[in-house]
Amino acid sequence: MSDRVKFSNVKKRAAKDKIVFGLVCLFSFLAMIPLFLIIWEVVSKGYKNFNWRLFTQVAPSSMDALLAKMSGEPIPGGILNGITGTILIVGMAVLFTIPLGLFVGIYLSEHPENKFARTVSYLTDLLQGMPSIVIGIIAYIWVVKPLRSYSALAGSVALTIMMLPMVVRSTEETLKMLPRTLKESGLALGASYTSVVFRVILPSGFGGIFTGILLAVSRVMGETAPLMLTALGAAVVNWNILKPTSAIPLLIWDFYNDPNLVDIIWSASLLLLIVIFLLNWIAKIVARRWKI
Amino acid sequence: MKDKIFKGLLFAAALAILLLTAGVIYVLVKQSLDVFHEYGVFGFIFNAEWDPRPETEEYGAWSFIIGTLFTAFFALLLCIPFSLPVALFNGEYFKGYKISSFVSSVVDLLAGIPSIVYGLWGFYTLRPIVIQLGVNAQGFGIFLASIVLAVMIIPYASSLSAEFLSMIPDTVKEGAYSLGATRAETIRHVSLPMASSGIVAAYILALGRALGETMAVTMLIGNTTNVPTSLRDTGNTMASVIANQFGEADGLKLSALIGIGLLLFLITAVINLIAKFIMKKLSVR
Amino acid sequence: MGVTLSGAGATFPYPFYSIVFRDYMRKNPGVRVNYGAIGSGGGIRSLRDKSVDFAASDAFLNEKETASMGAEVVHIPTCMGGVVLSYTLSGVDSLRLTGELIADIFMGKITRWNDPRLAAENPNVRFPDLEITPVYRSDGSGTTFVFSEYLNKVSPEWNREMGTGKALKWKAGLAAKGNPGVASIVQLTEGAIGYVGSEYALTLQMPSALLKNKAGNYVKATLETISAAAETDLSDDMKLTLTDMPHPHAYPISMLTWLLVYEDQTYCGHSRQEAEVLVDLLNYIIGPDGQKLAAQVNYVPLPLRAVQKTQRIINRIHFAGEKLSTAPDPEIAIVNVLSETETVGDHEKTVLHEKSLVDER
Repeated sequence: MSDRVKFSNVKKRAAKDKIVFGLVCLFSFLAMIPLFLIIWEVVSKGYKNFNWRLFTQVAPSSMDALLAKMSGEPIPGGILNGITGTILIVGMAVLFTIPLGLFVGIYLSEHPENKFARTVSYLTDLLQGMPSIVIGIIAYIWVVKPLRSYSALAGSVALTIMMLPMVVRSTEETLKMLPRTLKESGLALGASYTSVVFRVILPSGFGGIFTGILLAVSRVMGETAPLMLTALGAAVVNWNILKPTSAIPLLIWDFYNDPNLVDIIWSASLLLLIVIFLLNWIAKIVARRWKI
Repeated sequence: MKDKIFKGLLFAAALAILLLTAGVIYVLVKQSLDVFHEYGVFGFIFNAEWDPRPETEEYGAWSFIIGTLFTAFFALLLCIPFSLPVALFNGEYFKGYKISSFVSSVVDLLAGIPSIVYGLWGFYTLRPIVIQLGVNAQGFGIFLASIVLAVMIIPYASSLSAEFLSMIPDTVKEGAYSLGATRAETIRHVSLPMASSGIVAAYILALGRALGETMAVTMLIGNTTNVPTSLRDTGNTMASVIANQFGEADGLKLSALIGIGLLLFLITAVINLIAKFIMKKLSVR
Repeated sequence: MGVTLSGAGATFPYPFYSIVFRDYMRKNPGVRVNYGAIGSGGGIRSLRDKSVDFAASDAFLNEKETASMGAEVVHIPTCMGGVVLSYTLSGVDSLRLTGELIADIFMGKITRWNDPRLAAENPNVRFPDLEITPVYRSDGSGTTFVFSEYLNKVSPEWNREMGTGKALKWKAGLAAKGNPGVASIVQLTEGAIGYVGSEYALTLQMPSALLKNKAGNYVKATLETISAAAETDLSDDMKLTLTDMPHPHAYPISMLTWLLVYEDQTYCGHSRQEAEVLVDLLNYIIGPDGQKLAAQVNYVPLPLRAVQKTQRIINRIHFAGEKLSTAPDPEIAIVNVLSETETVGDHEKTVLHEKSLVDER
């Protein structure tokens, strides 16, 4: 009799297992639907104005668009000033964030019981919840006001503050999950702490760390509010970090407010999406190559 | 010697974060002193009145605090049934397979869509559906904003959770299998608990994103100053009221907006404390 | 050595500024002009912090703001615009409204389209029995300011209950962010009526109401009718609102938009060269080239006397006591208030589909 009970129990558990699997697949599929819907919307509305000019010309003025509309042509101009601006501002922010974020993450994962470390970890989470516009206000007070000028640098500072929490926390949690034996065996072999970190620990945790960085970059590439208060915007391509600079989300905001340029929002968004997709793809390839 | 320098740098970096946060709080407090002086701290927090007219100025943060909590938590609730399966899909069931690469890329893309595009999508595509469902007459409100927020935060929760799940050593799982556990049971009793600390951290990250989201929410929530009491209501969140009114604000109103920013910071602090408490309980096991 | 000028402020004039700055840059290589549409408040704050060279605002500085600037700031009007009441009501091609009716609609006192008061104003129109959905701006805005300032003048009840401001405590209707927000909701909602910036409504050819002006005529917002609102006594500092003006063709909700600069350009971080270019830019904007561009994108050029008064203001801007403008002080033409308007720009390339200018009863 006990055999039969055990047998039916196994069947029930096996069935549960299958159901769980089915639900996981179903809901994963459902989770992908919004993306396809959004992509569909962006592509169908954005392909008309999506062409080489997007990359090579600066943002059109209202009149260019108006005249084009009247003659039924696609809107001239592109978003080159936004593209270069985003590269400059996000690029600098990444340069600031990665070393600082990594170091803090390493420190926090090494000292989990330390009160100081716990406080820093906690404060990092707090920064995460700050609305982007508040960060913009702070960057305005810290960088724009003293320099007496809006600048790409101020924009980078704002984006750095936004990216740090994600990089720090994902680094910390990733490294915490590594088995301690990894570090200990490296040290036991006589390697210095520094080389153990750089040659063993970081590479092992590369996947999680990279995901954190990627999420952070993806997020700030589309942020408008902090850049409005720091980089201001520019009608031409600008590489001077101390001068006002444009960025793709700033241009999207400009287009949104201009009745003649509204149509290009979709093309600019489409470009942004493509860039992020490429970033993700490259990241996945790199992560696969480097993973131990 | 090299180690000393390196360890010193690590410490300095952590200190930098401390100083940064302290600096942020300092700025927020300094700029919002006026409004707290005018109404007192609790007077400002619990007041649901928001009157921007010059003659009868009165500012209170309560409507926005409720709006923020309502949307963020509802969004988190909505996102769990989707982000957890995706994390399991990528970190457990199909770990290492090409399809997992595909699914995780697709979901990660959600993180890269600019908030203004989410706002536009919510406005053009979702809003008519919400009206059709009979939620309310104009579509805008807590419901619509929360749905879009939920979609926005899925990748934050799922990507990191998937990473943590995939880092669980196979040996541990195989131990469970050898004892006769099914896949689902191993997940429930072994994988999830082991990765729980990281998973909770991932959801906190997601919640933080929801609390601070500005652009998309501001385009969809209705921007009214009442205290929302149901999903059908329109309202405002702390982040969106700041974004809406900041461009034109000055004087006491500006101080009120920054005061709201400070309060948001404090609310995030409290929520994080609670979450840390939960995490501690989970890792003790 | 190139000169870079930065400005920030209102979103309303942004399309016009983007064109005129671009044009100026084309004609003056080596000069860069940047503008960020972050809102009038942001612009004023930036000017106070001296992180920009000029600010753009749809409302002139009030006493408190003026005092906070620390130094004299001059207001340079660059063009005109108006606030249009746009609506979506199938079967209704032409809608007449008065200031009082608008006030009552937006205060929630008139709730249905077939209200007898609307019918009385529109004897030839058959209104459906449909709820009116007023749409207003959720973000602080100069458009709201001008709209409420007008209603303040024409409705004592509005004056008492709602007041004037860039953001108000609304009692009825839906909120939307920005002109595009209001325009979208109005277009998508049957029975909706909202207030929109004129250039926006004119460019998108949105149906708009005819408003009864002070002289008793029903007027639609066009380049001519808005311009007519400036045919009145203009103050020397050009800090004035142009709502409910007496000219028979005047559109009742008209407005100026200004660029604000420091009268004394000698301040920290501002070179003489920058000051010269700034003044040259201002002269360009109010000159015939700049004003012609305005008309082409449905902004209203300044009428002649406004330009002359503005020129005098620009001529007051100095660097260490030296006048910077190269243009002479014009003789203000003495013009009969009721004469035809004269504009500096030409209206050849008007995009408008012109309907009747004035609807006489």
